[in-house]
Amino acid sequence: MAEQTNAASSRRASANRKPKKNQIPFGFLTVALIGVIAVLLNLKSSNVAFFWLTGSAFGFILQKGRFCFTASLRDPLLTGSTSVTRAVVVAFAITTIGFTAIKYGYSAAGLPIPGMSYVVPISLATLIGAFVFGIGMVIAGGCASGTLMRVGEGFVMNLLAFVFFIVGSLWGAHDFGWWKQVFISKGPSIFLPDVFGWMGAVLLQLVVLLAIYIFAEQYEKKRGTSH
Amino acid sequence: MKEVMLDCFGEACPIPLVKAQNKIAELAIGDVLIVQIDHSCAMKNVPEWARKEGYNVEVEEVDDGEWEVLIEKTK
Repeated sequence: MAEQTNAASSRRASANRKPKKNQIPFGFLTVALIGVIAVLLNLKSSNVAFFWLTGSAFGFILQKGRFCFTASLRDPLLTGSTSVTRAVVVAFAITTIGFTAIKYGYSAAGLPIPGMSYVVPISLATLIGAFVFGIGMVIAGGCASGTLMRVGEGFVMNLLAFVFFIVGSLWGAHDFGWWKQVFISKGPSIFLPDVFGWMGAVLLQLVVLLAIYIFAEQYEKKRGTSH
Repeated sequence: MKEVMLDCFGEACPIPLVKAQNKIAELAIGDVLIVQIDHSCAMKNVPEWARKEGYNVEVEEVDDGEWEVLIEKTK
């Protein structure tokens, strides 16, 4: 069986191999360019230079790891595979710990906690918006980070998604005051550490994430054998 | 032992996988399905699905950004 596969592939290989352009010089050039831009940005603001570098690193990791939020939610239904889903859960868990640590650090030092403007009430606008976004991202082939990554890779289709990503975001930002007034501020705003304490909130969130992780693993096993 | 080509160049994210799933159902045991893709997502999730199904999989990069995924239907 294995020899047959190898014979087939070596036949194809000799038939189709075109000489590939060596991309390593381009790689070096790109890294050098990123460095130069970082230094130039640093002259204006070291924050922006930092964001530039972390953004580039983040994009590289995303691309090499083929991490994809869209795949994490689409694959369980399409193929029964939850590997990306579980990767996203792990990412959430690490982020939970990290951000709680940052917020706690500020709070313990008596300083105002950064990022509290993101603690907003859940509203119908969020639910419906998320649902629409979900449909859109599967059709577009990527969510925010995925689209940016694929535009960088050179996929023209995602360039279209990218344009409308900008249009939609600008439109939303333009009307955000109205949305906030009419929908978002209608409900209570819950910051978990206020209710459960710092430790309690982190533990609760991690327990929920662990439950989701285990569920995803079981789901994949059950789906796998049904084929 | 047949070799069947499946051209998925230019197809967006889940399409190559769905096409491969449908096509492999039509093949006899021992046939090889060759999926030509140029989407890097598919380069990951097609072999993953095929291996999960228990098929022999080989991925070849035939050109910059183009891959051929050889799936042998073993069962």
